[in-house]
Amino acid sequence: MTTALGHEVAPQTAQRGDRFARWISRRPVAALTIAIAVIFVLWLVFAPWPEEFENVFGRKRLFINALFNGITLGGLYFLVAAGFTLIFGLMRNVNLAHGSLYLFGGYMGYEAGVWTGSWLLSYVFAFACCALVGAAMQVLIFRRMQGQDLRQTLVTLGLSIVFSDLMVWVWGGNAIQIDTPDYLMGPVPTPIIVAIKSSGDAVFLQYPRVRLVIFIAAVLIGVGMWLALHRTRIGMMIRAGVDDRDMLSVLGYRVQLLFILVFAFGAGLAGMAGIVGGTFQSISLGEDSHFLLASLVVVIVGGMGSIPGAALGALIIGLSEQFGLVYFQNYATVATFVIMVVVLALRPQGLLGRR
Amino acid sequence: MAISHTRETRIGGVDSAAPPRWIADHFAILLLGLVLVLLPAVASNFVLDQIVGWTLILGMIALSLMFLAGYGGMVSLVQMTVAGLAGYMITVFGASSLPSISLFWPWWVAAPVAIIIAVAFGTLAGALSARTEGIYTIMITLALASAFFYLTLQNWSIFNGFNGFTTIPAPIFLGINWKSPVALYYLILFFAGLSYVTVLYISRAPFGLALQGTRDNPRRMEAIGFNVTAHRIAAYAFAALIAAIGGILLVWLNNQISPGTAGIEATIDLLVIAVVGGLGHPIGAFIGALIYVILRTFALDSLVAVGLDGRRFQTIIGLGFLVIVLFSPDGMIGLWRRWSARARSQTGKSPR
Amino acid sequence: MVGARSLPDREEPALSTIAERIAVAGTGNAIELRGVSRRFGGLAALSDITLSVRPGERRAVLGSNGAGKTTLLNCVTGDFPPTSGSVRFYGEDVTNLPPHERIRRGLRRTYQISLLFQGLSVRDNVYLACLGVSRGRFSFARRHARDAIMQSVTSLIALVHLESVTDRPVGELAHGQQRQLEIALALAGAPRFILFDEPAAGLSPNERGDLIAILTALPAHIGYIIIEHDMDVALRVVESVTMMHNGRIFKEGTPREIEADPQVQQLYLGGGHG
Repeated sequence: MTTALGHEVAPQTAQRGDRFARWISRRPVAALTIAIAVIFVLWLVFAPWPEEFENVFGRKRLFINALFNGITLGGLYFLVAAGFTLIFGLMRNVNLAHGSLYLFGGYMGYEAGVWTGSWLLSYVFAFACCALVGAAMQVLIFRRMQGQDLRQTLVTLGLSIVFSDLMVWVWGGNAIQIDTPDYLMGPVPTPIIVAIKSSGDAVFLQYPRVRLVIFIAAVLIGVGMWLALHRTRIGMMIRAGVDDRDMLSVLGYRVQLLFILVFAFGAGLAGMAGIVGGTFQSISLGEDSHFLLASLVVVIVGGMGSIPGAALGALIIGLSEQFGLVYFQNYATVATFVIMVVVLALRPQGLLGRR
Repeated sequence: MAISHTRETRIGGVDSAAPPRWIADHFAILLLGLVLVLLPAVASNFVLDQIVGWTLILGMIALSLMFLAGYGGMVSLVQMTVAGLAGYMITVFGASSLPSISLFWPWWVAAPVAIIIAVAFGTLAGALSARTEGIYTIMITLALASAFFYLTLQNWSIFNGFNGFTTIPAPIFLGINWKSPVALYYLILFFAGLSYVTVLYISRAPFGLALQGTRDNPRRMEAIGFNVTAHRIAAYAFAALIAAIGGILLVWLNNQISPGTAGIEATIDLLVIAVVGGLGHPIGAFIGALIYVILRTFALDSLVAVGLDGRRFQTIIGLGFLVIVLFSPDGMIGLWRRWSARARSQTGKSPR
Repeated sequence: MVGARSLPDREEPALSTIAERIAVAGTGNAIELRGVSRRFGGLAALSDITLSVRPGERRAVLGSNGAGKTTLLNCVTGDFPPTSGSVRFYGEDVTNLPPHERIRRGLRRTYQISLLFQGLSVRDNVYLACLGVSRGRFSFARRHARDAIMQSVTSLIALVHLESVTDRPVGELAHGQQRQLEIALALAGAPRFILFDEPAAGLSPNERGDLIAILTALPAHIGYIIIEHDMDVALRVVESVTMMHNGRIFKEGTPREIEADPQVQQLYLGGGHG
């Protein structure tokens, strides 16, 4: 190719520094709208709602709960979708067995919890099990059909059919709840007022400790992934591979190692998310397709192959599901898909995706 | 996309077809057609409708997927949804056991309206996914298909939620009660045959030829004057028409429709059917459907008969699918082509 | 060798007679780029290109690898649009038109790396190219040998000497034949201006002779821009030359002037690329 690349490189760091300021000066209306929206949301969260306002929009307690549940659910979705988007971005493999890995992780974590009695250990165990399965899939199957993205995807479809049936065989159709460990039981007081009692005392929000802890863990994992992608050699290789397929051929034999690593890591994350899901809600038959779809939608909305995109998408989908549940119950799930359709129509590559 | 297409389609050939050659070329399919037409004379109503009829309908819907995937390189998982929507619409506008929802319009109004709505939906789905490339199509259409599934599950005012509809009669016209097994069979056979022939014909017409061009080399297609996106969307519209007719026939055959009809599992099953049959030729859709229907009907009992757990049916389906994808990506058609090529080369060698 | 066989009949309704073409041509340039730039992230592949080519003019764009020549063609055809600047085709602003709209207006191009339909026959490839610029793109009706399109397909195949392999899949063709087919695709319909991206790359001396013959035999109203590394080919088939370096134009002139220019000698002709 003689497309002219390789000269007049603009200094990147300087560009990044004042990008924000330039964006504001370029689109003042959008910036102002966003600023007002942020202030409004802050007001919604921290100020006690006037009575007329509650009459129209319902009780503040509902709103705050939906908000918190949405954000923490977003954390869970992020854990599942992050691996999905990495695997897709790097290998162009739409891993339709990702939901099965999530479910498998949940079951393995449950078993490990029963055996060892340790909630934290169960994460390690679930991660290891799923990573092993993911690595095996890459080594045994996908390595042989590299570049044939449709065929790989069909294989993951076949695997997901078999996996889910086998899991029904072993664990049956009943929902399994993973117990929250004692030290994470109970609520945490927060400084957010949800209502004013008739006596004039403020009622503060109490929120389940385990959800907050898991959400913080999800954020840490996300930040860690971002740092790993941007600051380590392997991360650079992965990003280069996602952005430019031709780069992969330059890596030669190491590309296989990279693929196995990414597949194992993505699968392991899904497995850990299974425990989180089992703690938040429960794990049961059908959750695999639920979380596969959630990952699909998160990744389509956020942008394929982008970790920040997965985070943003997960947050949006988590919030829309929870708010949908509270405010228009009959169409809660459909609301999520409406968001997806709108994003697809306006920005087919996803919010933070690149062409 | 990287599924191996066996491109036997000699689309370049000019049609100067003399009838005898035409008959020779299509001998097998003509014979099959004759058998299908004469089938009611020997087969029971069960075989007629629940085996062959069901096969033909599933084959039609899978054919619409095959058309998009095989000729257009777009693996659209929204085809079962299009069929399901058409089925729901014929119940809403036509007749069912729920007078609170059904409008009881005559079939000749209800059926076209249902088809138009379903085609509009299919085209819209195409417009959403046609601008993205290749493998994205699977993701987007799968998400759309599940959106429809959840909508039918949660909406009671139009789709009657979890319960769906029952008692959806096929109409009476031309003095024939199309509900009767033999009449319904012929109705299905007519539309299945029609869509098969149409797809085959279009694959060699300018439209289909250009569609195959967009599959192989979209950038070049733009550079010789084709609007690739518009062409893809038109293909979606045509495929949706076939799927919609299939959906209406499916409802008339089963006499019921519920969210499961176009659920996620049904969507996946349709892809399995099309891939197992083979995406290289329209007949693959029907072969896949036949295998699926036979397994669905008899595998459960035979699993139990050989002492296995009948509930492991899905594992059998999944493993069978995996074997096909791993060892014969062009499906049963590919198997047959390779087998017959080998047979031919052996008979060619033996005299020497 | 190639006779000056006339191009097939054209279906394009736009401008039917040569007289009309010349009338339009008189009012402006065939290709006009104003301040065209193209960036890839932080990299500027093209910087502020201003270039005009008259109808019927034949011009070579020369420059070392990475000078931005192919990027320039891509901006003209719309394969990817310029980051800034405008592109006019016969007076019409086409900067924001998708590629297929530009093709339907009479612009054509060939690709440096053959971008053909490998699984289809030669006839089908040419047929698609003819179909793309005519009505009936969505037609469900099959074609017949006596169709106007089919006739132009036959004469295009003859023009590039591929009659003997008409029904062969393109994937089986030799490299030189694929290059010939590239040219046939670009000549389909009623081209008004053609962009050739290194048409001689990888051709044998004999095939180069054929190529030169085909290019010089093109009807006079069809102008073209040719990117070529082979000076012998490039300078024999053009009347003007544009030199590019690092995404900028640094010299324009006749082939003779360019050959004689000391700066060009130093930068390009003597620079091991010639």
